[in-house]
Order: sequence, then C-alpha cells, then structure tokens
Amino acid sequence: MKKVCENWEKVLLTTTCGPEYFEEFEAKAKQASAEIFRVKTPVEAKEIITNLIKFTNAKKVVSVDNVLQQASGVNEELQAMGIELYTSQNDIAEHAETADIGISGVEFGIAETGSVCQDAYAIESRLVSMLPPVHIAFMPSSRIVPGVEQAFDVFSQVFQRGYLSLITGPSRTADIERVLTIGVHGPSRFIVIAVDEPVSGGVA
Amino acid sequence: MESSNRNIQQEIEEKLKDEVLRGALGRFAEAYPVSRLKAYENVEDIEALRDQVKQTKMDTVARIEEVADQFVAEAEKRGAKVFRAADGPALKKYLLDLCREKGVKRIVKSKSMASEEIHLNKDLIDAGLRVRETDLGEWIIAIAGHKPSHMVMPAIHLNRYQVAGYFSKELKTDIPPDIPLMVQVARKNLRQEFLQADMGISGANFGVAENGAVGLVTNEGNGRLTTSLPPIHVVIIGYEKLIPTLKDAVPILRTLPRNATCQLMTSYMSMICGPTPVMVKKDGQWTEQEKELHIILFDNGRLRAAHDEKFKEIYQCVRCASCLNVCPVYALVGGHVYGHIYAGGIGAILTAFLNSMGDFEKINELCIGCRRCTEVCPGKINIPGLIEELRIRNAKENGLPFAMKNIFEIVGNRKVFHTLLRLAKVGQMPFQTGRLIRHLPLFLAGLAKDRSLPAIAPTPLRDTIDKVAKNPQNPTKKIAFFSGCSLDFVYPETGEAVVKVLNDLNMSVVFPQDQSCCGKPVIGFGDIETTRKMAKANIAAFEAVNPDIILAACPTCAEMWKETYPEILHEDPEWNARAKKIAAKVREFTSFVAEEYEKAGRLGEANAGAKKVTYHDSCHMRRVLGIFKEPRKLLRSTSDYELVEMKDCDKCCGMSGAFGVKHADLSIPILNQKITNIKDSGAEVVAVGCPACMMQIRGGLDKQAPNIKVKHVADILAEELDKKKK
Ligand code: SF4
Repeated sequence: MKKVCENWEKVLLTTTCGPEYFEEFEAKAKQASAEIFRVKTPVEAKEIITNLIKFTNAKKVVSVDNVLQQASGVNEELQAMGIELYTSQNDIAEHAETADIGISGVEFGIAETGSVCQDAYAIESRLVSMLPPVHIAFMPSSRIVPGVEQAFDVFSQVFQRGYLSLITGPSRTADIERVLTIGVHGPSRFIVIAVDEPVSGGVA
Repeated sequence: MESSNRNIQQEIEEKLKDEVLRGALGRFAEAYPVSRLKAYENVEDIEALRDQVKQTKMDTVARIEEVADQFVAEAEKRGAKVFRAADGPALKKYLLDLCREKGVKRIVKSKSMASEEIHLNKDLIDAGLRVRETDLGEWIIAIAGHKPSHMVMPAIHLNRYQVAGYFSKELKTDIPPDIPLMVQVARKNLRQEFLQADMGISGANFGVAENGAVGLVTNEGNGRLTTSLPPIHVVIIGYEKLIPTLKDAVPILRTLPRNATCQLMTSYMSMICGPTPVMVKKDGQWTEQEKELHIILFDNGRLRAAHDEKFKEIYQCVRCASCLNVCPVYALVGGHVYGHIYAGGIGAILTAFLNSMGDFEKINELCIGCRRCTEVCPGKINIPGLIEELRIRNAKENGLPFAMKNIFEIVGNRKVFHTLLRLAKVGQMPFQTGRLIRHLPLFLAGLAKDRSLPAIAPTPLRDTIDKVAKNPQNPTKKIAFFSGCSLDFVYPETGEAVVKVLNDLNMSVVFPQDQSCCGKPVIGFGDIETTRKMAKANIAAFEAVNPDIILAACPTCAEMWKETYPEILHEDPEWNARAKKIAAKVREFTSFVAEEYEKAGRLGEANAGAKKVTYHDSCHMRRVLGIFKEPRKLLRSTSDYELVEMKDCDKCCGMSGAFGVKHADLSIPILNQKITNIKDSGAEVVAVGCPACMMQIRGGLDKQAPNIKVKHVADILAEELDKKKK
C-alpha cells in the first residue's frame, strides 16, 4: 500500500508526542462529534466493533490493512459473524460505495484540535474513510502531538509526494439556516479506537 | 462592467425589507463573536498568531514571482501540469480544451471562489458539460440561480422553506422543509455525480512552494471526494494562496477554521502533493491509475496587486469571511448588494482589483469605517484604510462629482466655510435642502425619521473661548485646543467644559483662530488634495503658538493629526517632517486627563454615585487610538455616577464619516440597535468621548427616549468641578 511515510512512529520521535496529550485530544475530538474508545489491548477493540455491527445491523465492511486491526483479530470475528468483508484494493473500489462501515488506520492525533492524521496516499484509505456512512479508525493512544505546529514539524520532514488528511469528527454542514447537520458527503459517524498496547511492526 | 446599471439605493431598500435575510443575519451577528472567541480559548496569544499570518503573507508577496516559480517547478517535478492563467478567458480556454481533449462530459466542483469570480460554470455549461457544485450551500445557490451572499455560507440568505422549494423544483419531486432530510437528499443526489464524474475541479486554501502541494479545508467532505474519485483533478489557485513552506500553513490552519466557522479545525483538511492513485473501471475490471493533476495558477489582477505598495495587503486575506460576520452594514443588507461575488469591505476591495473599479464606485460607501473587522481579521488587513485609499485613487482618476467638488472647495477654505456655518444658524442658508446639505460635514447630515439633527449653536466656541478660559498664572502646561467643527459650531458648551477641566489642572489653554475642519469628511470622499491643503493650514496655525500639547476632544480629529496628516504629506519632505513633529504633541482628551488625574491622585474609581451612566466606545477611539479604559476610569471616579456597561458597548452607532450622511437608511437601523442597548442598560446618562457619536446618539435618543441624556466625558468632569466649587 502506498504511503507518504513508511515509518510515522520514527519521525514522530523528532517532535513532542506522547500519551500525556490523549485526554486533551479526546475532549477536543468529542467536541467535534467524534466517538472515542480507548482500549488497553487490540483484542478489546474487537468487542467494540462487533457490538457496533450488531447495533447498526451492518452487513458489509470495507477495510484497509493496518497492524492494530490485524492484532485485534476483528477480521476473523467478522467472517465468523457472516459479515461481508473486503480488504483488497479492487474489492474496496467495487464495494466501498455500498458498504455500511469502513475501517482504516490513522497515524497520530492532535490534542489542540481533536484531529487525526491519515496517510491517505493509497486511494483505498480515502475510499473506506469517505464513502461508507461509518468510519472506524485505529490509532495507537501514545501517538498524540500537542498542536498543529508539531503535526507540521512532522509533515515537513516526510511530505514529498502523495495525499495527507487531517480528519476532525464526521462530515458536517451548516449551510441551511446555520443548523449543524452531521453526515453530508462523508461519514455521519467517525469512531476512533485508540489502543494503548504497542504492537510490533510499529506502523499502524 | 456587468453591474454598471445598478440602482444600489433601491437594492438596499429591498434587502432592508427582506425579513428572512434580516433575521438570519441578525441572529448570526449576535452569535458569531461569542463562538469565535470560544474557538480561540486554547490559543495562548491570538494577536501573535494573527501577526504570524500577516508576516508570512507579507514576506511571500514581497517575492511572489520567486515563490510562484518554485511552486510551479516543484509541482511539475512531481508530474502535475501547471498552467498560469492571466485572466478569465485564458483559464476558460485551457479548461475547455482540456475537457475536449480528454472527452470529459461530467464535472464535479468543490468550492472555488476564483472560478466564481469569472463565472466559470456558465462557460462550462454553455459548452455542453454537466457541472455540479458539490458544497451544499454552493449547490443550493446554483440551482436557485443566485450569487453567493457570503464567502463561507453562500446560502445564508435563504431559509429552509425556500431551499425546499428549490430542491423540489430541481429534483422534480416534493421535498419537505426538513433540514436533515434535505441534507440526505443532497448527499444521495451528489454521490452519484461524484461517482460518475470525469473531472473534479477544486479551489485551494494554500499552495506550498517547497513541495508543490495544495491544501484544502472542507467540512462536508466534498473536497476529498472531488480530489479522489474522478480520474482528472483540476486545482484553481490564486497567487495570493501561495506560501513558501509547509510550516507556513500552520498559522493559516490555526486561524481560518476558528474565524470562519468557529471550529478548531474543519472536518477535513487535505493536502495533495503531485498526482495520486485513482481507481478506474475498465471492462468491468478495477485498475489503479495515476490521476491527472492540473494546477491552474490564476492571476486576474492578483500580480498587479502584489506590486502595489498599498494593495499587496490583500494577499493577507485567507477568505474566512469574519470581516463580514462582524460588519454592521453587512448584517443589515447581506452580500448581494455588493454586486460581485466577494461581499463586505474586503469584497469591495477584491472586486475593484479582480473585477472592475466601476463596481467599487457603487459599493465603497457601504463601508462605515467602524473598524470592527480589523479586530478579527486573521491577516490583520486594514480594510477601511484600503477602502479609503481606493476612494482617493478613484477621485484622482475619475474626479469628484461636480457638486461635491464645489463643496469641498468651500470646506477647504476656512473663512468661507466658517462664514457659511455662522449663517447657517440663522437657518436661511440653503443647508436645509438640496445637495449641499448632504455633503457637508457630519452635523449637516440628512434628516431622518428616527433621528433629529442638532442646531448650529448661536455663538461658536471660537468667539467665547477668550472669556471662558481662566488661564493660570504659572501653568504647568500650555495646551493648544483643536476643537474640530462639532465642538466649535454645534457643541461649544462641551468645548468650554474641556477648557474648564484643563484650567482646573493648572494648565493654560489657547485656541488658534486659524484652525479649521480636520479634513476627515473631505478625505472620506477621496479628495486628498483639499485634505492636504487643510492639513497644512492646521499645522501652520498650531506651530505658530508653540504649545506643549495639542489637545483634541474628538478621536477622529486626533487620528487625522496623528496618522493621516503625516501620511498624506509623505511625499513632501518638509511638510512630512513638520506633520510628524507636531503629531507627536497631539493628545486625545480622555486619555490625557485620566493620566493627569492619576498623577494627581484624583482617580478614585469608587464608582459609587447615585446616577447610572453607561459608556459608548467610539469606533475610532476604541480601535484606532486603543483608548477605552481611560474614559471609564474617569467616570468611575466621579461622585455622581456609577458606571454600568451596556451590551455591545463598542459597536458602531452608525455615524461614521460620510456614511451616516449618505446612507441614513442604513445608519438608522444601526443607531436603533445602539438605542436599545442603551435603554436596556438602565442608565440615565450615556457618556461618549466623540462629538460625532454624541450627535448621532443624541439624535436617536431625542426621538426615542428623551429622558436619557448624552454627555461628553468632558461635560461630566466639568459638572463635577462645578459641584465641588459650590
Ligand atoms: S479580509 Fe481578513 S477577515 Fe476578511 S475574509 Fe480576508 S482574512 Fe478573513
């Protein structure tokens, strides 16, 4: 899968970053209507996702490869539940539009704004995070930078080509009578699963 | 010049009657300042951040060609095709050729104001292309056939019922006026457009020279889809959006969402660097391809602005629209009156540069000069200052209307002017009717239903001053009093109060008889020549008495002396030096007296009087001179008064400069808001530090709440002195 940076973990070491900013990140992300779940181990994420699937009666999931998700075992669980799960590039292109949920991994969070940074060079990252009505993003809870400033310290070092996004809550509009309405062209629910336990491989 | 036949007066009247518009804008104007400040709660130093935006943009515009060259080279190096479009026709030709060559039939667009600037959609549609705006607000106005009325919320002038009507018509089915439902209808409808589009056209919020990337902020996600789904992506980016490095985006991204929508960050902020992969379906099979990325770097007047000493400032604009959100005139009339697609004060300036000067002429008077926008603008643009500069250039190029020219010749000649003013008090002069009255200085303003006008005083201050002044034997300071027209001819008793307060401080007061109008009403109409003449006469008159301090009890007069005189005389080294030297001696009354009282230990600040007084901040006092604490200190130290604050104490009273005179229809609703706030404060006296505000508010209270009195701070201090003597 194409990435702007092959090792975000490493480049994040060059700036201020750590789990101590998580609380602030969570508060700000919730303020932007994101749903935040913090778990100790990847396995705990499995339950969150399966519950969500039952609750929303989801049938079809598209997902891009990320290590936290793999470590969580959620893919196996979904298959066992009889959920249609698509993970290859061509399948995502075909099914993202009709999928109920998209899952991806994001690189780090920003405490100041409650945003997450998605390395979106690969088109499938953008498809799973934009087309289905729900987007779930895995992220290590230790990777929070305090502000936009630090995020750009990092971008400056790695952004030579590709597509980078900050995602802050779900898609929204206030274009009619300034009434806030969630879910226009992108997802109406944006869920972050932040995992405490580091997973070998480093790259989420 | 499409709008040359407009009747702007009539348009204003229509907008003032539009209840939907007034309601929406009124509510928004109330809510915005509070929400904006809340969004800045976790920014340590807003001013420093704004300075950063300003500095970044200033540094960039100073070497715009170099930055542009680098941006182009870096983008091309990565495989983007870059086209520099000099103007609208060039841009359109490039785009239409591209569509033809690639067989494009369907286009989705995410917001691009640069494309609206040249009405691009019309050309695309005329060429047989299917074009869809995908930003909800833009889509609404596109199907309604309207122009945007706000840069960030283009459909703010419509309510849900009107939107439902347009939706129903467009989709040929009955759509109920339910907002979430309508949003879902838009999603479904436009999703199909995204999936089938051959080309996506987007604007950009910034372009980065060091890596050729473009950045885009959106909330709905349409920007991400426009740049991800179709196999061809065209970015239209104006030169003013370029920044040297990625890090330079930081101050923009920390201010733009906070100012534009009161968010810490928009839902999506995407940066695209070179062509990225796209999926295309061929014969039922999906394959990955490299997307075609075209960047159109758009000039259309921007490079000319970059090399203009004054107007390069427009590069500091990040298009957040907060200047509209706080503008009292915009809140009344909305964006359409401004004619072109850019509304408000900055809109007037952009329109002059990017569209035509002819349009500017129609709308420039809609700037009341209250300067509220300068307090919020992320790029710290001096919007009223630039408008004044445009007026000057306009007057230079096209001359002043004949009648006005004659009047300024009169105002510019002190003797003739003052003779006329003396005659006016008798009421036989033609001041009461005709053109003359409307163009004379403030106090000859037009009559209006909700505002009465002051009478010219029987004896001007200049005739009584020698009797009134009780100059001490050994004064601590020699003060030369610059009264300005209002205190001289309309409110001489306030002028006398000023003298009394100064004498009491053991200072002597002189009144140079050769002083005349400060020139503000004249430069307000762009007549810089006459203003220069008046500046020189005033400077000479005050140099002659060699005072320690020149004191003005009017913030606009003080501003003219301190800032405008040196500036308009800057080409003449001798006069510039004289103007600067004398400007250093000029002080505003309330701040000067507060300082002296403080030194003398007279600032009690007990605030324990029996009568409630509320203080109205004059726009120029608050935002140009930065004086707002001092008059309050003085009021709190009086024995008679207790200072209570009114809501929006620093909001304009509607009388700035030529505006209150020419646009009584707009000035009065603004005044009425002020009157309401004054009444609600429970005060029985309104204190002001500015004679023009005094005139406007007195005129309004006189008609609407005659029991509330308006007093200059000097009047109140003089009362206090009288009381002590008894
Ligand atoms: S002039 Fe300033 S406040 Fe107005 S839109 Fe531009 S950046 Fe925003």
